[in-house]
Amino acid sequence: MPHKAINKLGELERAVMDAVWAAGADGRAPLSVREVHDELSRSRDLAYTTVMTVMGRLAESGLLTQERSGRAYLYAAADSREELTATSMRAQLSGMAAPDRRTAMLHFLGDATAEEIADLKAALAEVEQRHSEGPRP
Amino acid sequence: MAAGSLAGPGPRVMAGLTRFRRAPFEALVVWQCVSLAGVVAALAVAPAAVASTTLPGWATVVALLFSGGMLARVLWSGHRVGTRLRSERRRHGELVDALGTHDSRTAGLAGGEVRVLAHPTPTAYCLPGRRRRVVLTEGTLLALPADELAAVLAHERAHLRARHDLVLEFFAVLHEAVPSRLRAVEALREVRLLVEVLADRAARKVAGPVPLARALVSLARGAHPDTALGATDGTTDGDAADGGAVGGSAGDGGAADRSAGASSATRDRMLLLTEPDASPALRMAMLAFAALVLTTPVALLAVALG
Repeated sequence: MPHKAINKLGELERAVMDAVWAAGADGRAPLSVREVHDELSRSRDLAYTTVMTVMGRLAESGLLTQERSGRAYLYAAADSREELTATSMRAQLSGMAAPDRRTAMLHFLGDATAEEIADLKAALAEVEQRHSEGPRP
Repeated sequence: MAAGSLAGPGPRVMAGLTRFRRAPFEALVVWQCVSLAGVVAALAVAPAAVASTTLPGWATVVALLFSGGMLARVLWSGHRVGTRLRSERRRHGELVDALGTHDSRTAGLAGGEVRVLAHPTPTAYCLPGRRRRVVLTEGTLLALPADELAAVLAHERAHLRARHDLVLEFFAVLHEAVPSRLRAVEALREVRLLVEVLADRAARKVAGPVPLARALVSLARGAHPDTALGATDGTTDGDAADGGAVGGSAGDGGAADRSAGASSATRDRMLLLTEPDASPALRMAMLAFAALVLTTPVALLAVALG
């Protein structure tokens, strides 16, 4: 993996979470920034402070939990990947009515009621029919 | 002084002209020019009043206050909306990067920008800005065959490529800058629909109308099994505080109060998929109209100052 692409694509956040989840699965959690840094440094060149910053942000977002141990903090995953995803999806979809949220992220389509779905199916049949008759645009 | 007419009835009339949806790009240009002309007209009141030799002094003061107030509102709204959107996107982008995975099915289709969330509810959206992402769920990958997935990705990438977020941000800023009594919710709704139609047209070129139409149904249905509770339509309501619902999450009460007669924006999109683009003549006429609308307040101001 090219080093430069790491931060640009947000790989670092993911690598940190993967390391913390793996440690949790092996019963090695919670971890210090130093331990995560050592782990990640095996495959890439990283500054300790970079890892510290990312872990601080992940803790702010609620993905990691922080506990003080002496002079350093120890981190653990707040929950499993599936649980955290479910939580953030719930927050996201329930906030979809908020205009801000809808401008911040462009959804392929909004929620539909059962009647609307029936309508959509009828419309799809029409699209399919019209299209099979007409030439391909 | 004709500024007022642009704020009130204008947008409502324009939103009713649905045939222009077949030229979504030109329609958006018209919308932007009309809105911008309204702002320019409001700002022009002060210089016009100052230049006037017949107005009494108090009227000039009122004009200055009016234009100054409008300017302040637009700037403040721009600052607030921009800050909120950026922080929302940054926060969500970090979440998506930390939680999402890459998937072999999407790896070949788009650069490194697609993230897949481990969640059964099918959904697809994009996150514009510096950290551009197309976000899908595992439920989406399960629900869509390859051609429909390609259509969805083409749609989302059209949003990102053409910076549709900036168009929406522009209207969000103006919407918030206008006093709430004068806000045209219909305008915002129509603009959102036009942006979706624009992305649909791009996706139609890549994937064809039928896979795109099927994807619209698959994703709408997948998110809501038979006990559908959801009420919000991504492109329908403006400020209405509808409660959205995650598929299967019982107990969300937002659905009942949605009026049954509301036309579905998704259905409108679907039917537009087989409609040909508007004729070049109509599209040119729309652009000419947009230019005329925008130059009118400027020309009036020039006359007033001249």
